[in-house]
Amino acid sequence: MRKQYVVAALAVIFSLFVLTADCISGELEAFGGQKGTLKISGGTAHIPVMKEAAQRIMSAFPDIQISIAAGGSGVGIKQVGEGLVNIGNTGRKPTDDEIARYQLKVHQWALDGVGVVVNPKNRVKALTKAQVMDIFAGRIDNWKSVGGENRKINLYTRDEASGTREVFWEKALDKGTISPSANVVVSNGAMKSAVAQDSYGIGYVSVGHIDSTVAPVALDGVIPTIKTVKEGKYKIARGLYSNTKGEPTGLTRAFINYLYSREGRKIVEKGGFIPFP
Amino acid sequence: MNNWKERGIEKIFLLSTIISSSITLLILGFMAYMALPLLRGGLFRLLTEPWMPQQGFYGIYPMIVGTSVISLLSLLIAFPVSLGCSFLISSIGPKSLSAVFRRIVQMMTGIPTVIYGFVGIFLLVPLIREFFQGGSGMCILTAALMLGVLISPTMILFFCDSFDRVPRSYIDAADSLGANRLQTLLYVILPSAREGIVIGVLLAFGRAMGDTLVSLMIAGNSIAEPKSILDSVRTLTAHIALVIAADYESPEFRSIFACGLVLYLFITIVILAVRRLAFRKSEERA
Amino acid sequence: MKQAGERLTIWYSWTCGLILTAAVFSILAYLLFKGAGAFHPKLIFGGVSPLKAVLLQQRVFDGLFPAVVGTLMLVSLSVSIALPIGFATGIYLAEYADFRIKNAFNLIFDILAGIPSIVVGLFGFALAVFLHKHYSSSIQPCLLISGLALAFLVLPYIIRTTQIALESLSPEIRLTALALGATKLQNLVYVLLPQSLTGMISGVILAIGRCAEDTAVIMLTGVVVAAGVPKSVFAPYEALPFYIYYISSQYTTPEELMNGYGAALLLLLLCLFLFALAFVIKKRLSYLAFYRP
Repeated sequence: MRKQYVVAALAVIFSLFVLTADCISGELEAFGGQKGTLKISGGTAHIPVMKEAAQRIMSAFPDIQISIAAGGSGVGIKQVGEGLVNIGNTGRKPTDDEIARYQLKVHQWALDGVGVVVNPKNRVKALTKAQVMDIFAGRIDNWKSVGGENRKINLYTRDEASGTREVFWEKALDKGTISPSANVVVSNGAMKSAVAQDSYGIGYVSVGHIDSTVAPVALDGVIPTIKTVKEGKYKIARGLYSNTKGEPTGLTRAFINYLYSREGRKIVEKGGFIPFP
Repeated sequence: MNNWKERGIEKIFLLSTIISSSITLLILGFMAYMALPLLRGGLFRLLTEPWMPQQGFYGIYPMIVGTSVISLLSLLIAFPVSLGCSFLISSIGPKSLSAVFRRIVQMMTGIPTVIYGFVGIFLLVPLIREFFQGGSGMCILTAALMLGVLISPTMILFFCDSFDRVPRSYIDAADSLGANRLQTLLYVILPSAREGIVIGVLLAFGRAMGDTLVSLMIAGNSIAEPKSILDSVRTLTAHIALVIAADYESPEFRSIFACGLVLYLFITIVILAVRRLAFRKSEERA
Repeated sequence: MKQAGERLTIWYSWTCGLILTAAVFSILAYLLFKGAGAFHPKLIFGGVSPLKAVLLQQRVFDGLFPAVVGTLMLVSLSVSIALPIGFATGIYLAEYADFRIKNAFNLIFDILAGIPSIVVGLFGFALAVFLHKHYSSSIQPCLLISGLALAFLVLPYIIRTTQIALESLSPEIRLTALALGATKLQNLVYVLLPQSLTGMISGVILAIGRCAEDTAVIMLTGVVVAAGVPKSVFAPYEALPFYIYYISSQYTTPEELMNGYGAALLLLLLCLFLFALAFVIKKRLSYLAFYRP
């Protein structure tokens, strides 16, 4: 009697294995028989996800070559529009003007947010929207005005091609000014390491990138985490988009589909974002 | 037959020379061509307005100030140190030590710029931040310090070279009058090598102006005009590296070609000044 | 009074020497201290066996191997473009050009030597965009464009060292073969060039070092964050100095930072090695030239 149950259980487990194994390899199978190069550039927030996906694809199919460049959302749009790359990543939705001009097709595969961050040693952990606007405009320049130590605030902002900056400027600052004397860094990673090293620094970074090296700052009472972005509580949200010129074909199409597949979604989650849709 | 071969080879060499020199002129041409629409809008505006693309200001004035201040400050820091080191190498130090020191300085010229920037971010920036108890540490001072270390070897080697070129007869004359090594250095060699020193300074200035990595990595890159040496600043070179992203037709993109043009012209002026001086010196010599 | 001034100068010079030595040694020591820990095959090959990686059987994802290969390919490409043109130009200026022409060209090449590397990179980028729009849309920033731009960058080095090497030959050496009836070309090929070989080779090594360490030019002309070993010259590629720059501001884990230190140490050792090589070759060849039986 016992033996039969064991055998049945084993059979069930075995068939489950077979079925799921088929599923997993099926997602990468779309790449089978493809060869050539896929060029990706643009948003810096996307890079960890891109690298992971590229690594898995290239390990399974050595004939495929995927190259990833940074540059920011502006670069992504321009390069995919000019045909210099196959996929241009952006951290903001391309404007109608850009879509019309380059015949872009927009594919959103994640939900992300932009959060204000400070150094973990800083005791200021919550700010109101008005305070954030004043700090970044340069009107408040000392931490003691917002409850911290008596030290000057060191501002960090992103370069002009950045989608992260665009979203932050539009939604958190209500298109207010960013002080010209702010230090400019070139990517989300750079922003993170700058704020992590500067005890009196403040900046803004993709929510998916926030880890233990920087401390998120609650905006009007809501801490920027991936959970609050998903629930809609944290308002400074944005999508991560991969844009192609026209409908994607071949290798490009396979890659974009991979991002939407189950394995792709796992990679997106691992990157700290919310898979979309 | 041989004559054809000779003439042929000479023509080939001439062709290579023309190709090489045309590259220099092509670079100037491209810069001017791409920056033209922006220049047409008003050269004065370009050179004196601040950089605020969202408000329609595409001026490169803050960057010009940034480059000038960092280069001048680094020169100010590096010149005395380089002069002292060159004294040490050519006269004051004992022979064996000087030789070793000269090797060390020569080795320094081989250190990549990105290494200076890399060490600057992790070693110098926190140091400056702690020392001044304020600011982010990424400022004119930090960049100038690092840049000073970068341009010192070039200056030192150049100075030593100029000292070595002083005619033997001068030194012998001083010797026979009873001067010791130091006195020979101060009163005979230094005045004769005066132009050499100026040339060395100018070349180092050109090098400092043209450096990208150090200022990109540790000067902060803000777009405001600096008010103190603890302010974050952007140089022309860093600006080019940062703005390369923009749309090909936009004024922002064209502004980086304007930066390239300004740098090109600065360098040409420095080179011309150096040549004038060198020419005068060789005339004097003759 | 003068005594005091002289004493002061001595004291001052020693202080300067000390300051500079301290500066350079702290930089080197810091790098050594932090980077030595990262120095093992995993840094370069990232878990893949070195043999397989070098034979391109398996891709390396976490190591510096693609960047090292990229740098090597870049250097070979740019030096092989710059060498023939540079040599020929240097020979022309030293041997065939008359005074006025020589002066004019020397000015042009001095300017070329002085142009900031980022402006050369900008030119390369503009060239690529221009060709992309007007000639063929398959031309993009890639290894070839970077190689070309770097060739522009090091051309003046090669020209200058070739020219100086040839010009510093003594008149006796120049005239001997001619007096024996050789043509100018024969003189050049059989006498002058072999004699000035040391100078020319040190120029080549200088150029190699410059190509290996340059970041500004490659940043604008085709280097990317991740590309694997480039399969053709029209492909994007990785390079060691860019990796260092990228990691320095954008490291996401302490391991990546360690890798950055290791990479910085690697690049430093590479450039110092090239420098030492140039020096040794110079000494060796001049020894041979003098003492050849």
